[in-house]
Amino acid sequence: MTSISQANEMELVSRAQSGDRNAFSELVRAHAQGVLHVIYRMCGDMQVSEDAAQETFIQAWLRLPSYRPRASLRNWLYRIAVNTAIDMLRKEKRILPGAVDDLALTDPGPGPEARVASSERAEAVQVAVLALPDASRAVLVLREYEGLSYQEIAEALDIPVGTVMSRLNYARKLLKENLEVQLFSYAEAENV
Amino acid sequence: MSDHILELIGAYLDGELHGGQLRQVETHLDECQSCREEVQSLQALSTALQAAPLPDFPTPERLAAEVALRLPRTPVKPMSRRALEVGWWLAPVGLILVWIFLSITLLIGNVVTITNQIGLLNSTVTQLVPDATIGTYWSGTLGQFGLLTGASLQWAGMTEAFTRTTLPPIIWQVSIALLYLSWMAIWWARHTLQGLGQPFDSGSRPTVN
Repeated sequence: MTSISQANEMELVSRAQSGDRNAFSELVRAHAQGVLHVIYRMCGDMQVSEDAAQETFIQAWLRLPSYRPRASLRNWLYRIAVNTAIDMLRKEKRILPGAVDDLALTDPGPGPEARVASSERAEAVQVAVLALPDASRAVLVLREYEGLSYQEIAEALDIPVGTVMSRLNYARKLLKENLEVQLFSYAEAENV
Repeated sequence: MSDHILELIGAYLDGELHGGQLRQVETHLDECQSCREEVQSLQALSTALQAAPLPDFPTPERLAAEVALRLPRTPVKPMSRRALEVGWWLAPVGLILVWIFLSITLLIGNVVTITNQIGLLNSTVTQLVPDATIGTYWSGTLGQFGLLTGASLQWAGMTEAFTRTTLPPIIWQVSIALLYLSWMAIWWARHTLQGLGQPFDSGSRPTVN
């Protein structure tokens, strides 16, 4: 991810709000990776993620005049990204994780069997995450994959911190129920 | 196992607990085997989630170039949008100011009328006071022509006085109240749907609240 300082980001936002497309492109470069990751975790399809990421930044450009710097730009973009992903899912009649061919699997084990097992576990996890209700999935993605604090998630999704906590608990409870076998195998792998 | 602690275990692992709650969970975990298992289970879940791989996405430069191609040609007009937004937030203030102005005007009018009735005003000031007969103009006329008499004339006079003097303030106060409530309803609806309270936000419709 292109890293820019907060002061520089504020300057870029200000210029972009005045219609400077180059400044906006710099912001896109800085936040592209995070937005793509959030959307991919929300919808599980690479092509849709690319389209949704583009749509997210176009929506951000259109809504930039209403953006207030008191909110983190990253969290503001994540909010648009989450909603764009949900809109895309509705349009595409919900995308289920497609080919695992899309996934650049890292090889955690010594041989092909370990790779297959790892791939199956990854797919099961992805299916379970995608099966979560949209609201719970959004909170889980922002916490588990993007590492946002509860307060940041609350600000990004405009919900109370208590709701973040309850949605996260609910998402984890559902995932644990659906991934019992996979979690056991992960625990086994860690103990080995 | 305590349900209360169970609800806090996720927040504990996320580093979101502080002070008394943190000590409460740590103390409980020292004593409760099933809650320790719950911690391990959640840690395993987190590991499983982190292990889910990501595909090779386009580079940020490529995405930025593609976005740049799709950006609307016409630049955003921040000033006009800002003016609309300022107007939106000033609307309730304006309504309250109008209400205060009309209320003060009505109050002064009533004070002047009462003062005039007890004869404390001179002739110059009394010109400002509406003629009391205006309040019963058409009923008085009907009475002069003999079309209304007795109780009918009295009822018509009261009705006319009510519609000409009492009703208008009620109508404008109710109108201002309705406009204000409508503004609040629109603000609430926008806030609920977008979480922003911004009436002029375009773009994707946020759905997660």
